Amino acid sequence: MSLPSFNVLRPRTVEEALAAFERHGADAQMIAGGTDLLPSMKQGLFSPRVLLDLKGLGDLDFIRFDPERGLEIGALTTISALAGSPVIAREFPVLREAAKSVASPPLRNMGTLGGNVCLDTRCLYYNQSGFWRGSLGGCIKKDGTVCHVAPGSDTCWAVFSGDTAPALLALEAVVELAGPRGRREIPLAGLYVNDGLVRLTKATDEIVTAVRVPAANAGWSGAYRKLRIRQSIDYPLAGVAVVMRKGADGVCEAARIGLTAVNPGPRLVPAAGLLSGHSYSAGLAEEVAREATKVGKPLKTSASTMEYRRQMIQVFVRRAIADLWRGAN
Amino acid sequence: MQINGQRRALEIEPNRLLLDVLRQDLGLTGTKCGCDDSSCGACTVLVNGQPQMSCIMLAVSYQDAEITTIEGVAPNDGDEAELDPLQKGFMVEGGAQCGFCTPGMILTAKHLLAVNPDPSEQEIADALSGNLCRCTGYMQIYASVRKAVELMRERRPVEVAPR
Amino acid sequence: MGETVLKDSPIGARVPMIDSVDKVTGKGIYTDDMAPPGTLTGRILHSPHAHARILSIDTSVAERLPGVKAVVTGRETPVKYGILPIGHDETIFATDKVRYVGDNVAGVAAESPEIAEEALRLIRVEYEVLPAWFDPEKSMLAESNLIHEDKPHNIEKDYHHHFGDVVKGFEAADYIREDRFFCPEVTHAALEPHSTLAEYYPEADAITVWSSTQVPYYLKLNLASTLQMPEEKVRVIKPLVGGGFGGKSEVIPLELAAAVLARKALLPVKITYSREEVFYAHRGRPGQIVELRTGITREGRLTAVEARIIQDGGAYCSYGVVTILYSGQLLNAMYEIPNVKFDGYRVLTNKPACGAMRGHGTVNTRFAFEQQLNRMASVLGIDPVEIRRRNLLKAPCITVNGLRVLSYGFPECLDKVEERSGWREKHGKLPYGKGIGIAGSHYVSGAANAIIRSGAPHTTVNLSIDRDGVVTIFTGASEIGQGSDTLQVQVVAAELGVDLDRVKIVAADTARTPIDLGSYSSRVTFMAGNAAIAAARDAKGKVLAAAAVKMATNPENLAIEGNQVMCLDDRRIAMPFEDAVRLAAGDGQTLEATGSYRPPDAATGGKFKGGGVGPSPAYSYCAQTAEVTVDPETGQVTVDRLIAAHDCGKAINPICVEGQVIGSVWMGLGQAVQEEMMWRDGRLMNPGLLEYRSASTLESPPIEAIIVESNDPEGPFGAKEAGEGSLAATIPAVTQAIYDAVGVWIDTLPITPEKILKAIAEKKKSETQVIKTEN
Repeated sequence: MSLPSFNVLRPRTVEEALAAFERHGADAQMIAGGTDLLPSMKQGLFSPRVLLDLKGLGDLDFIRFDPERGLEIGALTTISALAGSPVIAREFPVLREAAKSVASPPLRNMGTLGGNVCLDTRCLYYNQSGFWRGSLGGCIKKDGTVCHVAPGSDTCWAVFSGDTAPALLALEAVVELAGPRGRREIPLAGLYVNDGLVRLTKATDEIVTAVRVPAANAGWSGAYRKLRIRQSIDYPLAGVAVVMRKGADGVCEAARIGLTAVNPGPRLVPAAGLLSGHSYSAGLAEEVAREATKVGKPLKTSASTMEYRRQMIQVFVRRAIADLWRGAN
Repeated sequence: MQINGQRRALEIEPNRLLLDVLRQDLGLTGTKCGCDDSSCGACTVLVNGQPQMSCIMLAVSYQDAEITTIEGVAPNDGDEAELDPLQKGFMVEGGAQCGFCTPGMILTAKHLLAVNPDPSEQEIADALSGNLCRCTGYMQIYASVRKAVELMRERRPVEVAPR
Repeated sequence: MGETVLKDSPIGARVPMIDSVDKVTGKGIYTDDMAPPGTLTGRILHSPHAHARILSIDTSVAERLPGVKAVVTGRETPVKYGILPIGHDETIFATDKVRYVGDNVAGVAAESPEIAEEALRLIRVEYEVLPAWFDPEKSMLAESNLIHEDKPHNIEKDYHHHFGDVVKGFEAADYIREDRFFCPEVTHAALEPHSTLAEYYPEADAITVWSSTQVPYYLKLNLASTLQMPEEKVRVIKPLVGGGFGGKSEVIPLELAAAVLARKALLPVKITYSREEVFYAHRGRPGQIVELRTGITREGRLTAVEARIIQDGGAYCSYGVVTILYSGQLLNAMYEIPNVKFDGYRVLTNKPACGAMRGHGTVNTRFAFEQQLNRMASVLGIDPVEIRRRNLLKAPCITVNGLRVLSYGFPECLDKVEERSGWREKHGKLPYGKGIGIAGSHYVSGAANAIIRSGAPHTTVNLSIDRDGVVTIFTGASEIGQGSDTLQVQVVAAELGVDLDRVKIVAADTARTPIDLGSYSSRVTFMAGNAAIAAARDAKGKVLAAAAVKMATNPENLAIEGNQVMCLDDRRIAMPFEDAVRLAAGDGQTLEATGSYRPPDAATGGKFKGGGVGPSPAYSYCAQTAEVTVDPETGQVTVDRLIAAHDCGKAINPICVEGQVIGSVWMGLGQAVQEEMMWRDGRLMNPGLLEYRSASTLESPPIEAIIVESNDPEGPFGAKEAGEGSLAATIPAVTQAIYDAVGVWIDTLPITPEKILKAIAEKKKSETQVIKTEN
């Protein structure tokens, strides 16, 4: 379980970090809170020669909200800061709920939004020690060719298990990336690839610098429902984020649903659009919930069973919709 | 590195974990390793007052931080008469059975009481939810924290005039 | 014993544990906290195969790696060992075969962890992979590819007991139920990973081993036998132990590995398991299949019980023979059952060895029995509390299988939880989704028969009283967080009539302390407690005899209270305790005293095969209620409240008793709802605390402990065990509460939400069918 040897660089600015990437190329990997990377490094999943410690980039630790320009969160903002932010609680309750459910308090004090959004995909056959994986000859994601979850598959089905991403997807967030070719902004949905190995469209030398949520999505009611066995210190076995804007007459003007922990990437449920323009209807909520199970495709990557996780997506989506639709705002 | 109020000059390999530096280089063995993968909280230390897990912290990354370990909780090197109210609470309420989770529990509770001097039972449970205990079922730990609240209240001078 | 307690006595006082200052300040030293200069890191090479023959091992490259100081393989460690004399089937490192993923192949000691781990990678092992056995019911049919050649059909041991006449018993029954229960494996998950430091002294050919053990004495014996050293050359010291729960109650491979490496390297060697290695060392509660058949009369009187129990024991014997016997023997001594039949099979499989875990052997059987009793109560329309009252033991008594029960606080436990929980207002009356359940459990206060049979005492305590009146206890009993040291200090202080802070303790160092068999089977309070009383009485006798001469009276007229020796007929005539000690000890001497405990022959059980396991000088009892909320749509169970009334005989230290009872209940709840070792093809899928989900604060419910004191006639101040007996009742209390809430019984642990949903769906389906048929 000893860590391999590596050097740690502590850039002070994004530009310094990018320059370091340019110098060290594929040998370098970035680290922020370390809550995802370091346990994995102990298991021998990564062995970079150089770690770029981004914690020194102080100007990426901020939460700003402007009713005109929307919400902007620096990538190095800790999950605790998100969970404790009054403006997020007021304007983006779904994000607060999701943040509060991440891992455990000390891990939330360490983990960052950037890290949570870019979390490595997880699988019971992958997140194991070198000894354990070696006893099975590795897997398609690391040191092997077989996917033990879906033998015969030529892609990796490890699941994305972040909690904040489905909430941010539902809020139509965009991410800002800084890379050697400058800064670019892409929809968060465009960051993910539904492949446990490829995971992200982001180049390895691109740094997530900020996440932005459009002002139009402020003030929506929202709920995050997380399936887990232990109520703390646990990744989601399935996670559902629902946001809704309601008219004064109780009509749903718009709604969006994000899913996590049931696919290699977080996903939006298109059927959420069916809710628009309707007053509360249990049947419609049920229909959308059923559609959601067609988006989530849980496999044997995690504890519990595939069937139960799929079933819970349905229950959670239906209940969250009902709660928001019938709720006070 | 600033540890328990003292500036320590250390030469550390970049791949050393703070947990190992504390235990092996500084002899601060009160910080424990229970699980290797940040699941149990036995290695909790305070980083600038906030609970974090030293088993997944690279020591070199925390050169500028203020670290508090269990050894730094009591003034005067742990003379029993001058224990922190939390330490006393854990003693008299049986919050420490095997004692292995205790340092992490006390440090986490220390942060809780710093930001919330009169927490409800749910708030205590929330705050301690990253620290596993295998002995107590947590009941006596809650009682210990509440006892500390009581002791702190007794110790605090009564405020007569509004500020 | 069993006598009244004086008013200012420390017996019954809420005394903070004497080592708690060290624990709250971080100053307490656990094994891994020690590192003498020059200490090497030891690491173990584990088998990647579940079952394989070792064709060759080449360590030459590893040995040449700079910084490597010793490499050891099975060739150098051929002596077999095991905790039970009839179960010596392990070697420090594999000699011929590996028998589970994680089995021990070689050991390395090196100057740093990095070098040691690199050396492991350089060891080349050639294996011939063999077919492996993972399912105990298939394994027990095996004809070839046996796990141990001398165990046909991979059966470690089977027992067949029959007491009374079950055929007649079932004939007398109005209702007979048969159920099959399955409880998967769970593990201790003590927060401290096992750790051992060993130092060899070549000039004396002696070795000292510091280890996170519950059984220093057995460790010493096994070190001597496997290292082939005389016992007197082996010293075992137990520093603070970060939780045991049975996981450190036998010799664990790293303890011997560290010693053999230290002797070869001629430098201290420390091995601390990674959390994953702790899971492979295991020795936890075995997976168990219980086929249970019980007969009962219309009035709710038990007439017969028949159990067929299969235990998935893993690859080595460990405590297995004892585990399977407890599973059968302790069907008894809880209720009056005239006819009992038991067929038990301890089966070998290619998985880590199972052993003793809190509630050793009794938990899964107790779950099955209590669940079945609750089901029968519901069919017969008898209140579950009432059905238990109709089957109480008539203590003092001897059960059909020869267990002697002197004190029996179970009826009072039932009364207490019935009242505190509001049982009568709640049971059967709560709205759908809410429920309450009840169950009972019991446990031994130490095994009446030692693992190694002899006439020797099970424990001895020595006292040394200095001229200043400071009493030092020398005891082999092992503090593992349960309060062993504090208890002995309280007992000695009470018996000697001196203040607690005058009593010091030196414990668990085989070179300095007399033999105690260890902290397992809940034996310390009863056995070390009684030995401590005996030692204190020995000292007191000497002190009073000397004082009597000086005070011109007879010793019977003297007592010690408040550090004063005083005349009972005139309390003004008194002498300070230390003065009396000086008189008793003579010039310049310390006063020495000793006491031992060995269970009385009457408590040692029946003379049949396997009859030695189960007997205890006393049994603890527990009744427990659970209240739950079940979400019928998600199957999620929220446990709202647990109440356990535990008969511990006498609570010598209520802080410790409550801590033990609550901790047991909580651990039982873990097994009930969320803990499980997950296997896929012989591979443990969750060898870590992230995926092996020991409960966090957030899903841990309020647990209330009620102390019931039955004052056992042989217990120290009436005390019995408190640390294990209340674990088993939690599981059936929760399953019954779930039944009360949503009308389904769960027979397979853990009670996951998907099992509840499935059961609810099946229930609905069968009800619809019934309605259809009726139409």
